[in-house]
Amino acid sequence: MRIAVDVFIVIGLFFALAGTVGVIRMPDFFCRMQSSTNIATLGVLGVVIGGLIYAIGVLGDGGMAVKIAIIGIFNILANPIASHALMKGAYAHMKKPVDGLVTDQLGEDLVEEDE
Amino acid sequence: MKKLNPASFISVFILGFLFWMVITGQITAIFRNEASLQVIVAGLVVSAAVSLFSARFFIHEKAFHLCNPARLVNLIFYCVCIFPVELVKANVDMAFRALSPALRINPGIVRVPVDLKSEYGQAMLADSITLTPGTVTMAAVKDGEDGDRTCFYIHWINVESQEPEEAGEKIKGNMERAIRRIWE
Repeated sequence: MRIAVDVFIVIGLFFALAGTVGVIRMPDFFCRMQSSTNIATLGVLGVVIGGLIYAIGVLGDGGMAVKIAIIGIFNILANPIASHALMKGAYAHMKKPVDGLVTDQLGEDLVEEDE
Repeated sequence: MKKLNPASFISVFILGFLFWMVITGQITAIFRNEASLQVIVAGLVVSAAVSLFSARFFIHEKAFHLCNPARLVNLIFYCVCIFPVELVKANVDMAFRALSPALRINPGIVRVPVDLKSEYGQAMLADSITLTPGTVTMAAVKDGEDGDRTCFYIHWINVESQEPEEAGEKIKGNMERAIRRIWE
């Protein structure tokens, strides 16, 4: 049981590491956000699942398990809203179409509407 | 201001009360026969007040749409089988993209048509797309002649196709089909 806990926590830490490296290396804001999604999904979920197994299997504490599960569920529910709001806010402050993108169909459509 | 719909009031009330019971630990206390009446009554009052004010913002369409075994099974199947597979695939891809020395990225914003009619379905699809690393929903607009079709603008870290239909199939493929089975 302890081995399963450790495996999940190590998986979580690996994705958190990858996300952090991505945040540092990516060239612009949007790509950094994409990389940080990595931390917020499998990085957190791995640790949460590990904690869940630890609470049920090793400690046998039901109340703790429920609280850990609620952390996971709220993370999943709240995280996309935050990243969507950040992306939209950042996009609103840029000149359209944004430089450095292969294609920017949102910017093109917005420019067309203005004309 | 929108009118308060009884069905939405009841559903938000049930959700709020269940949540109160779990957080205060009363659910387990009931089984041990030491539940406190005071805490339960306080929970009833608080969740009634909260749902009175917030139900009209939460629930716009049918409140008890999910109270149907087939839809519930589809929802659980989506949450347990389909979505985690997509999530893990995208996560592994994104992790290696970030760690590889060459930093293979090819970012762009593509426009993707969405065929879902239900508001809940569209919200669920947008959240699922945002949760998978590599794609973030940036805007959802009503489109078409009479505004009956919705389009998502999606920031994609590795643009494989700029054609709306093809890009849509690559980004949302399985997820949209599964979500349609839940909400329609």
